[in-house]
Amino acid sequence: MSHPVRLVSIGIARTDGDGAGETGGLAGRLSGALSVVSRDGAQVRLAHGIEEATLIAAYDALRLAGVRTPLGTEEIGVALGVEEGIDGIKAQYYREIVKDGPLGASPIVFPLTTPNTVAARISIALDLRGEIVTMCGGTLSGAHALGRAMEALREGRSSAMLAGGATSVEREFLDAVSLVGGFEGGAPGCAACLFLLRAQGSADAGSVAGQILGYSEAVGAHDVRDAVEACLQDAALAPSQVRSVLVASALDPRVLVESVCGVGVDAPMRRSPSAWWYSASFPLAVAEAIGQAADGPREPTLVVGSDCLVGAAAAVVRGGGC
Amino acid sequence: MAETVVVTGLGVVSPLNPEGDLERFWASLCAGDTALCEVHSFDTSRYPCHVAAEIDRDRLGVSGAAEAPAWRMAELACDQALTHAAARCTFEPRRAGIVVGTVLGGTTMGERYIRAENRERGREVAALTQYPLRAVAALLARKTGYSGCALTVSTACASGTDAIGLASRRIASGRADLMIAGGVDAVCELSFSGFAALKALTTDKVRPFSRNRTGLALGEGAAFLILEAAQAAARRGASVLGEIAGYASRADAVHLTAPHREGRGLAAAAAAALRDGGCRPDAIDYVSAHGTGTPYNDAMETLALKTVLGNHAHRVAISSIKGALGHAFGAAGAIEAATCLLAMRDGIIPPTINLEESDPACDLDFVPNRARRTTVRAALSLSAGFGGQNAALAIRAPAP
Repeated sequence: MSHPVRLVSIGIARTDGDGAGETGGLAGRLSGALSVVSRDGAQVRLAHGIEEATLIAAYDALRLAGVRTPLGTEEIGVALGVEEGIDGIKAQYYREIVKDGPLGASPIVFPLTTPNTVAARISIALDLRGEIVTMCGGTLSGAHALGRAMEALREGRSSAMLAGGATSVEREFLDAVSLVGGFEGGAPGCAACLFLLRAQGSADAGSVAGQILGYSEAVGAHDVRDAVEACLQDAALAPSQVRSVLVASALDPRVLVESVCGVGVDAPMRRSPSAWWYSASFPLAVAEAIGQAADGPREPTLVVGSDCLVGAAAAVVRGGGC
Repeated sequence: MAETVVVTGLGVVSPLNPEGDLERFWASLCAGDTALCEVHSFDTSRYPCHVAAEIDRDRLGVSGAAEAPAWRMAELACDQALTHAAARCTFEPRRAGIVVGTVLGGTTMGERYIRAENRERGREVAALTQYPLRAVAALLARKTGYSGCALTVSTACASGTDAIGLASRRIASGRADLMIAGGVDAVCELSFSGFAALKALTTDKVRPFSRNRTGLALGEGAAFLILEAAQAAARRGASVLGEIAGYASRADAVHLTAPHREGRGLAAAAAAALRDGGCRPDAIDYVSAHGTGTPYNDAMETLALKTVLGNHAHRVAISSIKGALGHAFGAAGAIEAATCLLAMRDGIIPPTINLEESDPACDLDFVPNRARRTTVRAALSLSAGFGGQNAALAIRAPAP
């Protein structure tokens, strides 16, 4: 039996725009969000682009769902995927230590060297007091966060979750990835993609952007095949019911074809243009699949992602309501 | 109907037991030993503080080697836990997985890379492969062959607790038969400098809940628990150390580095974990406190416990082991969960060492300085961290 999760709304912020006229508009969107969430005369201070992008995306997802912020309750939790997005801050912080010793240690910058700071900023700015978790899975960070949010909702531990991924891709990170022989691609910039998710049977039965029908992850020699197989099982779907496949990472196409066809999925496949947004790539691909469905048939799309260290993840999503 | 989640194995590597001998760890903790000493892994001469609880790199087998200390600690603790549970090769790999809590991962290797960048950067490429936070989980997945998942949770000082909680959910929902869950972190200059800049480090010893407390000390280590569904553990005749009955996480939503002064988030997490586990507050016999030894943490934790446990807060035994081990960040919550299980096993509560002066703001029973013999049927393990992260585990002793 499947337990779909309702994807109520989507918030996206990217420094390269997303084709929807966002370029150049981030400052205005940030200013708008900050004017609403700053309260009691207190300013919400953000120190880095990843925090700004995440706040914009979070604020938009909640606004589009009709949630007034600051919230001030435990009703909504946060599950965010962040990993490489803090590496630039960490490297810069440590360089100052190497250069100036203890005097180089900034008490303002230091807290930003941990990935959970981004989710924490969101919880503080929007006064979200529910469950809070940060997942680090490289290119799968956002997928792992979605997985944890789905667990919390399906098991009734949270009534709503703000979930997704965020990154800040810096030149030094791209150079390092290249140096260790990882895949090469992407350009510097920040991106965040968050969804407001609710359990299928939750009392608030307003409009929804889509549904996540199933999700799974796997690691090891057959990671993609195992993740896809378990995901379809989770969604209670036959492989033949999948109408399209969207690839959310720089996965070798041969591996993908072998793995996906190996479990019986026979549907057109293509790579998401968001595949280079690392921790945010999987949620961005989910958003893309949902967005396409809004203009076309609402049939299941399989979103597949992978990471060079921690395996693969798959989700089956569908635009619109039930 | 959710599966009951039981713990069938423990592995702990700490400065009190660098080789991973669990009984040595427990005996030292109960004896009131401390592992705090002068920092050896980097030069602290320019800092105002010089103490931490470190594991001798030679004894860890990573001295001069191109291996992150966190990798070695995690590998050793994971291996010990699997041996303790006698759980090797008995599970379908796709139904078994890993959840690692870490704040720093291979940061020591990132430090090496940055220090070397203008000279021999090319030679430090291997260090980079061990730097990512998720690399430890990937390593353990490779070593064990478990292929269900390799997840990394990073929720500051609550990481280890959250890792155990998230893994237990996977078993409870029937999506896994076995999970290896815990945490790891190694002392490094990046974190030392940061806490020094925040003036949070003690210059001599950690005194949790004492009026003269002066701050925390960095610690390091790794701890992993083997979690299984109770029925599956019974079928294979595994010894059960306890049950992860409940888990919850909650955000303070107030400040990036300071806790809510009244412990709002911690109280909410603890209350939710008790509800999740079907535990009455007055059934708790022991609380493993976060107890960092900083003025704000210990005062807010006292208030949080009063909020959650009511009058029972004055009767329950509470202790912090950070005077002995320092603060091992991502590993702390997992080491403390292991402490709760060992307390249940032996009926001994380890002491809060260095509790020298009673503090009116910390007026509960913190088991000062000497271990106490008592029956522990249920325990709460609490963690709180930067960003207003709070997590709690409700742990129950196995049925007699």
